[in-house]
Amino acid sequence: MSNNSGYFELFGLPRKLWIEMGALEQKFLQLSWKFHPDNFVNASEHERELSLQRSSELNDAYRVLRDPVARVEYLLGIEGARKEGEHKQQAPPELLEEVFELNESLDELREAKASGGDLAALKARLESAEKNFQQKLDEVDEQLQAAARKWDTALQGNAAMRKKIMAKLNDLLNRRSYIRNLVTNVQKELV
Amino acid sequence: MAYSDKVVDHYNNPRNVGSMPKEDPNVGTGLVGAPECGDVMKLQMKINPETQVIEEAKFKTFGCGSAIASSSLATEWVKGKTVEEALSIKNTDIVRELSLPPVKIHCSVLAEDAIKAAIGDWKKKHGVEVPVSEKASH
Repeated sequence: MSNNSGYFELFGLPRKLWIEMGALEQKFLQLSWKFHPDNFVNASEHERELSLQRSSELNDAYRVLRDPVARVEYLLGIEGARKEGEHKQQAPPELLEEVFELNESLDELREAKASGGDLAALKARLESAEKNFQQKLDEVDEQLQAAARKWDTALQGNAAMRKKIMAKLNDLLNRRSYIRNLVTNVQKELV
Repeated sequence: MAYSDKVVDHYNNPRNVGSMPKEDPNVGTGLVGAPECGDVMKLQMKINPETQVIEEAKFKTFGCGSAIASSSLATEWVKGKTVEEALSIKNTDIVRELSLPPVKIHCSVLAEDAIKAAIGDWKKKHGVEVPVSEKASH
């Protein structure tokens, strides 16, 4: 990713979170053709390598930009507002409490399932848990969208405001990641 | 990626799983999480207020094998130690003991954070100030 010009720049877009999908796809197809290795069969080895590199960069960029969540994550990354790995940030305590409790209830359901409890009743509980988590996920997604709109309007605004919105986006991404996990786990039990 | 034997052992036979009453004045509770992977870890310690020795430790972790092994190991290590000794446990010690691969280092960080959070909670209950130097330094 060294000489990478950035995904937004590659598509000639401002760092806005609302992207018109049709236009994005058009641009993707256009650039795909431009960078396509088939156009470089008679070019120098260096140019061929470059076209390959650009094609793969373009694919990465498209994959990230067309996904609204990955897009926010990427934006926060390039704006320096998201740390990962060892230097991760801590989630707020009330979210951890909630996630812990939700995990515990999922655990209870698993144990009941393993000990052969009333399967029909259990399935109903799991389904209602799934619905509940899914609903929470939808709520987070709505909040993410709202914060994304705020970001777009504040793009030309002051740095403090932008920082505040980024912190909000970051919290929402963290929350989403926990809830997404719960949805996946409960779905596993339902299979 | 294969887990080391020690991780598998802790995963299959986790030590000290469970919980203690949060309200108990001698119990410190640390609840931490890693949003990237969705792990949540709860570590509790029962600390003797006279001797400051950690007499009991319990954990419950929702997460991957490395996160479970890291917290299981942490409970084993803190038991019988004084608060000061427990605070000197570093995530790198856990990495070494469990031979965690680089992608799983954050699990050990989580365990270190949990130890510090639990002791911090206990100190708060006892009105002890937590010196800045004892806070996680990463």
